[in-house]
Amino acid sequence: MPFAGIDIGSTMTKAVITDGEGKVLGSIIGPTGAEHRHLALQVMGEALDKTGLVLEALDFIVATGYGRINVPFADKQITEITCHARGIRALFPTARTVIDIGGQDSKGIKLDAGGKVINFVMNDKCAAGTGRFLEVIADSLGIPLAEMGDLSLTAKEAVSISNTCTVFAEHEVTSRLAEGVGIPEIIAGLHAAIAGRVVNLVRTLGIQKDVAVTGGGAMNIGLIRAVENQVGFPVLVPAEPLLTGALGAALLGMDFTARGVVPNRARKLEGVTFFQ
Amino acid sequence: MSGERACFAGVDIGSAFIKAVLVSRQKILASAMRPSGGRYRETAGDVLETALAQAGLSRERLAGIVVTGVGADSAPFPARSVSDISCQARGCRFHFPSARTVIDIGGQFTKAARLNTEGRVADFLISEKCAAGSGRFLQIMARILQIEWEEIGPLSLKSKTPVEFSTNCAVFAESETVSRLAEGARPEDLLAGVHRAVAAKVAMQAKRLKMEPEAVLTGGGAEDAGLVRAVSEALGLEVLVPEKPRLTAALGAACLAEENQP
Repeated sequence: MPFAGIDIGSTMTKAVITDGEGKVLGSIIGPTGAEHRHLALQVMGEALDKTGLVLEALDFIVATGYGRINVPFADKQITEITCHARGIRALFPTARTVIDIGGQDSKGIKLDAGGKVINFVMNDKCAAGTGRFLEVIADSLGIPLAEMGDLSLTAKEAVSISNTCTVFAEHEVTSRLAEGVGIPEIIAGLHAAIAGRVVNLVRTLGIQKDVAVTGGGAMNIGLIRAVENQVGFPVLVPAEPLLTGALGAALLGMDFTARGVVPNRARKLEGVTFFQ
Repeated sequence: MSGERACFAGVDIGSAFIKAVLVSRQKILASAMRPSGGRYRETAGDVLETALAQAGLSRERLAGIVVTGVGADSAPFPARSVSDISCQARGCRFHFPSARTVIDIGGQFTKAARLNTEGRVADFLISEKCAAGSGRFLQIMARILQIEWEEIGPLSLKSKTPVEFSTNCAVFAESETVSRLAEGARPEDLLAGVHRAVAAKVAMQAKRLKMEPEAVLTGGGAEDAGLVRAVSEALGLEVLVPEKPRLTAALGAACLAEENQP
């Protein structure tokens, strides 16, 4: 009894396929990119290839992420809040707070002892405190995003970045470079700035242990350290933080099936559109 | 200095441009402007010399200098420092004596000030937290659309159906612009949409200040006819624009140098 979750995020599209017990059989991560047509089907196809299964063999498909309505072959669309919470519950049953640092938004989710969502908070209005902030700065520093984390750990200290706004911070970074401040110190300062913003957002929910950090931002070890600095204790990080939402989506499909929900069998297999 | 009029200088050391204006008996004698290039000290001296040369005056003829702007501390000459808000207010009143609200859209920050009937600053607001209502937003747009800053205004005025952005954030708007362009949106409609977004933010600021007519729009942003129209629409009144909006702070500084001699 395989289940699938597909998470179409602003930046990356992720798919996870699990067996009947929720064990991951295969997963895939690809850029959401500019060519949105056929994207969902293509990503799902690649994930299926890894498992040797066909789409028709899947018992339940759940779509999530902000592009979730554009997955015509999905049996259900579920918000990423619920999916992230479900994914985290499977990975870290003790987690009571989830911090998701995504490509274009950041969220805090508060869970009860059973892993159910009690409350959440979200920033999608401002690029500060999102992956976009790091992307913009990495670009202007000419450093690959993937290297930012390790680089920041070599910093002797974090310089203070006084601008919250990504646009102004980019300008500030240029001035700091001109002053001769080292790149690791600047990046460490940026991580502290993002962490401060995200943790302040999540604080409005009340931060309760354990805290799990997920989303693309959690792949950055420097940012994780900065978040730990802000909350004052170590946080939990999934091995593949980008997949949490898609995993949660697959597991919710498993939950539905267990409750006897029968999926719509008339899955449409033609290409899909995104943003159109 | 018997027989010769004393003359006064105002120098505005801004992050992008340094400007100098010379006045005597409330008349403008000369003005100069140059990109600061990050070298406040040298450029400020050069700009002042350029203005003096233009007026045919020697440095000795200057009876007083007021400096303003972010680099005011770097002035290479002895000068009194006055906040740029006070200088903007004075410069705008020079052109429009009845002005009660001054909105300065600069390269980075947007400032709004409410003036009392005497022209003194009663209250002001600076938006330095977010690029949404700032000139930077427009610079970013010019870069994506690959047009010059000067072309923004005229192009925007051609728009009949401004694009409505789903976001206020300049960073998110940048990616939205790229996807809208890919979908076939016209550059003028995108620009007009950005002008509306910036103007809405500026109007919010002006309302928080309880602005009063007449309102003057100044700073580099006031050179952009599309932005001037959008701000007028958002405020519900026709904003006044000084002749050389980038120079109003330096002009005000010069006036203050003349008026408030120790």
